[in-house]
Amino acid sequence: MNAARTTILALRMLARSPLRAGLAVLGIAVAVFLLCAERALHAGVREATEANGRDTRLIVYRANRFCPFTSRIPERYADDLRAIPGVRSAVPMQIVVSNCRASLDVVVFRGVRAEDAERTLARRMTFVAGSLADFLARGDGALVGSALAERRRLRVGDRFQSAGVAVTVAGIVEADGPQDRNACYVQLPFLQASAGGVQGGEVTQFEVEVADPPRIAEVAAAIDAHFAADAAPTSTRAEKAFVARAAEDLVAIARFAGWLGIGALAAVFALVANAIALSLEGRARELAILQSIGFRGRAIAWTVLVESCALALAGSVLGASAAYLALALGDFGIGAEGVMVEFRPSLAVAAAAVLVSGLVGAAAGALPALSVARRPIVEGLKSS
Amino acid sequence: MTPATTRTVPAAGDTRSFIRCTRLTKVYRKGDQEITPLRDLDLEIARGTTVSLMGPSGSGKTTLLNLLAGIDTATAGELWIGGNDLARMSRDALAAWRAREVGIIFQSYNLVPVLTAFENVELPLLLHPMSRRERAARVGHALATVGLADRAGHFPRQLSGGQEQRVAIARAIVADPPLLLADEPTGDLDRASAEMVLDLLGTLHRERGCTIVMVTHDPTAAARAQFQLHLDKGSLARIERGDGAERVP
Repeated sequence: MNAARTTILALRMLARSPLRAGLAVLGIAVAVFLLCAERALHAGVREATEANGRDTRLIVYRANRFCPFTSRIPERYADDLRAIPGVRSAVPMQIVVSNCRASLDVVVFRGVRAEDAERTLARRMTFVAGSLADFLARGDGALVGSALAERRRLRVGDRFQSAGVAVTVAGIVEADGPQDRNACYVQLPFLQASAGGVQGGEVTQFEVEVADPPRIAEVAAAIDAHFAADAAPTSTRAEKAFVARAAEDLVAIARFAGWLGIGALAAVFALVANAIALSLEGRARELAILQSIGFRGRAIAWTVLVESCALALAGSVLGASAAYLALALGDFGIGAEGVMVEFRPSLAVAAAAVLVSGLVGAAAGALPALSVARRPIVEGLKSS
Repeated sequence: MTPATTRTVPAAGDTRSFIRCTRLTKVYRKGDQEITPLRDLDLEIARGTTVSLMGPSGSGKTTLLNLLAGIDTATAGELWIGGNDLARMSRDALAAWRAREVGIIFQSYNLVPVLTAFENVELPLLLHPMSRRERAARVGHALATVGLADRAGHFPRQLSGGQEQRVAIARAIVADPPLLLADEPTGDLDRASAEMVLDLLGTLHRERGCTIVMVTHDPTAAARAQFQLHLDKGSLARIERGDGAERVP
């Protein structure tokens, strides 16, 4: 008997037990959904925090401050920063967040001067809707990152309010980095005036571009040295290192979520093993009948393996597809201390989840398959 | 009663012996207890004979049938069927032999509930190298033989007991095996259905010339066979000629 005929027979028998198969597939789908969500958070954390040799951006923060509400640096530092060797540009930025703590729905306002918006922001962003001219033309205009716009269902012309700041959407922008994709850029004077407790002439941080990526650490040290004796000493880090420090809680959550991912895989294993065990319990006679007809032990084992793999693959395809769609359509991001980590959906992650779940399913079915192949036929025929 | 003496059916010295048991013994343990359902059985059955196995519960009928079917293995002794030494065959070899040589009919039908009548009957043919079209033709013929051509698409739950047993018979004969083994094939059926099944087995024997060994408690069913083998406590107690004995070739 060839494997193709046995496979078709096994799938036919599985398909004729829709309730049993459906429940197992549903359970596996939920576990794989969780696995993909965890992997997406993990990918988001990596993207936001893992440095690479091409990074050119530094964040200059007030030394020994860890929250955008407490970091205050004189705006006039901009000229000093631009004069430091290796600095290409320095953008003073006011940060106002709707929620300092870890949250799935954080709005991060970033106030920038008009000239910086033209010189710096416009270069690294692509307008999906609206324009820079519209943004500059109105005082309460906002450039909304694509992920935030999708999450909040914002369109050009919409007005929205958060953290006491009311803005009109003047443009939707796409960008490479998660911070830009999830930010709401407004003009600096407007934000300083709108946000309570923020004095004119002060900003939360500076965003510094360095001319030569390999010298990024050297420039950071030079900046901190320059302001060390000033009234507002600074702490300068590469943007991704800054995010990693600011979002320590999120990184810890992501690390913990890694265990959830392993748990999800264990759940897939347990669900498939349980489904197969229950199935074999109820089908011992059925399989013994096949053996009495002349099906060999390895053909019986193959039907069990096909069943376990089919359940695992069906469940994982369903779960991975649902996770991919939910993450892609939902544009989820989690923020803390003014920095954002996105849940990044990935086809590669979905495919890997399906593959791993399939292997886990095969492993879960292997032992029962061997066991059933060796079970005495007479014993199987006697079972109810 | 001398169980160690070889009993030959239909007659001593017949050279066409198809089944030959020599000191066939089966022992198994149940807890601390050692049970011997079959003890030193010597028996020969000629090709093309119909034999009924009778005897009280625990006499070893079903054990002998399971050994003849190759779904159980003897503890001691020899069992030759059609030139094959079953005692020396591996599980895989026995499976391949069953697929070629044996059709089994069970009391409780043992159809696969999630497969249609057609798919149940087709099962043995999946083990043979033949095209889908050829399989369909043979399944159709087998179902027609048992009078159920119009029930091919029905699942076992949609059939009566008698119809289920006829599907099981169709499955047993579809690969045209030379040996048919039936374990109380009419045990769960009403009289009319039982008669129909027994008629069918008689027809199959006449038309195909297969050897049929049938376990039964029903004297009427047993009498239809050419020979009735009475077992008692794992040994052959006596052999009687049945109503079908005049058909012995």
